[in-house]
Amino acid sequence: MAITLFTRRAILGALAAAVLAPAFAQDGPVRIGYAIARTGPWSAGAQVTQEPNYIMWSEQVNARGGLNVKGKKRMIELVALDDRSDMETVVRSYEKLMGSDKVDLILPPWGTGANFAVMPLAQKHGYPMLSPTATGRKLLEMKNPYFFALLQQPDRMMTALAEFLVARGAKTAAVVYVDELFGLEQFAGLEAALNQKNIQIIEKKSYPIGVKDLQPVLNDIKVKNPDAFIALSYPPDTFLITGQSKAIGFNPKLFYAAVGTAFPVYRDKFGPTAEGVMGLGTWNPKTGPATKAYFDAHVARWKKEPDRWASAHAWAGLQILEQGVAKAGLDRKALRDTIANSEFDTIIGKMRFRNGENVSTPGVVSQWQSGEFEVVWPPQNATAAAYYPKPDWK
Amino acid sequence: MAFWFELVATGLITGGIYALVALGLNLQYGLMRIMNISHGEFLMLGAYLTWLGHTVLGVNPLAFLPAVALALFVLGVAVYWLCFRRIVRTAPAVEVIEARSLLVGFGLLFLVQNAAYLMWGADLRGYSFLAEPIEIGGARLMANRLVIFAFAVGASLLLLALLRWTLIGKAVRAMMQSPVGAQLVGIDTRVLHPLVFGLGLAMAGVAGALLSMVYEISPGMGEPYTVTALIVIVLGGLGSALGSLLGGFLLGLVEAFGMHFTSLSLKMLLSYAVLIGVLLARPKGLFAR
Repeated sequence: MAITLFTRRAILGALAAAVLAPAFAQDGPVRIGYAIARTGPWSAGAQVTQEPNYIMWSEQVNARGGLNVKGKKRMIELVALDDRSDMETVVRSYEKLMGSDKVDLILPPWGTGANFAVMPLAQKHGYPMLSPTATGRKLLEMKNPYFFALLQQPDRMMTALAEFLVARGAKTAAVVYVDELFGLEQFAGLEAALNQKNIQIIEKKSYPIGVKDLQPVLNDIKVKNPDAFIALSYPPDTFLITGQSKAIGFNPKLFYAAVGTAFPVYRDKFGPTAEGVMGLGTWNPKTGPATKAYFDAHVARWKKEPDRWASAHAWAGLQILEQGVAKAGLDRKALRDTIANSEFDTIIGKMRFRNGENVSTPGVVSQWQSGEFEVVWPPQNATAAAYYPKPDWK
Repeated sequence: MAFWFELVATGLITGGIYALVALGLNLQYGLMRIMNISHGEFLMLGAYLTWLGHTVLGVNPLAFLPAVALALFVLGVAVYWLCFRRIVRTAPAVEVIEARSLLVGFGLLFLVQNAAYLMWGADLRGYSFLAEPIEIGGARLMANRLVIFAFAVGASLLLLALLRWTLIGKAVRAMMQSPVGAQLVGIDTRVLHPLVFGLGLAMAGVAGALLSMVYEISPGMGEPYTVTALIVIVLGGLGSALGSLLGGFLLGLVEAFGMHFTSLSLKMLLSYAVLIGVLLARPKGLFAR
């Protein structure tokens, strides 16, 4: 009998503890959920630019004693899922994270398309979303109050490129672009910018994703001899275009390829051939002490370098989230308002949003020079002077 | 003139790449009806081995080819022994082999691909090798692509000769036409089957090794190549080495000319138009017997 009583009391005690536990949960970890590509075609980008930063950030914050939630330090627990580069899985994962797991915060998936798919969910559940790899006016036109785009928008990047061309006296340009939302948006931005600066587009051609040979097109363009060649390309085609341009000896004064040039693998693969190639970038270790510290920490943690474009934006997004939570806590509505209405210190400078757009970071043109992707435009951000005309292929 | 020559040359080279990719699968599917849908994954393994050999050990990728072929051959025999032996032995008809091996192939696809993700991560990898232009008749072509082209033609002709004129080739063809009949006339299918399967995987590995000289590599690179390989062998006729080669060339040329005269974005449309056209005219492929 005594034993039964004791057991009953013990069970009651355990039950009471279980019921009361949530009251103490304030000191439990802050759960931050995301789904990202670890496998499939998106993973090459996601695992260079995004997830390594998520993990490194949570480790650094935890090493500092935890995330500052309105003055109270709490550990970060990442709830991470592999989306297998599959749009359905992305949407279902985020629905689960926000709808049933009810994580405290979310981090965005990789790529414009996946972010586009998750945006409405984030709004429905009221989770702010700071996206480092989503670009395009289409996303901002949704006027989603919970969506914040960290990258420079296509028109901003392409205007910077056009300004650079004008400054160097270029008159003609030839453009190829990948037949995807990304390529179309960049091309629209570029066409408008070049028209406005009176640079003549003497050839424009789109090509499908997964193309294995562009030599005939490059030959056509070589014959027309433009001052500038601009490829609004994705990583596989960026490599293809570089290799084949070298093969046919097409060496215009400006050679620009979009996504992939900022990846360290571009330099590693091409070696001296990369010299003088331009592309989308924002920063490099020389940009300032903060980027140097970030670069060194990244190399120490992952034994590989971050890319010179969106990696730093991903890191900046995490810094903004951290500062926002310190100010507004985990009340996500208040956090959203804080992100929307404040200016933040990040490794790529001050950043502020207007209608979800990062309006602080200028459009940038970068160029490979002796193993570093130097920022060459605009002058106030430049880490080196541009090679123009581009040196011969090596 | 140089322009036309270059257009034809680039079309043929792309076609040669297609044919090379199809070669191994043609051995497995064309001759044994083993629908190895994980063909591209083993191609990827070959590419990674070569990349490792070149960047870590500093070995010349061409000199490394025999090692890659041998490694994948051994792997192929092991995979056959573990996964396909029972299927082939218990299947009452070749059609059943096709259906069942497809499922096993899917399993292998996920297994091999994810193993590669675990080992090497998702990053793009690449190196430059023979990335020098060569001038032929006014056209400038990449040396590494020419190597692939030469290899594709050479390997296809070798395979053709092997199947047509040697005893072992006849045995392999007999095995495909009638497994039971082949056994009755004294062909040891239990030895021949794993060997041919292993040879198919070795060819996949060699194709991957050669492709890694031209394109950058990632664990997910294989799947599109499997699709290309399927188109090419269906186009050329199952089991026909010559058909694979010419089917690859046809596809490459139609793409090169079509993309030049219409729009680049029509590439997929052109490839499938060729496939559908050939299948309408010759339902068994160009060179089916």
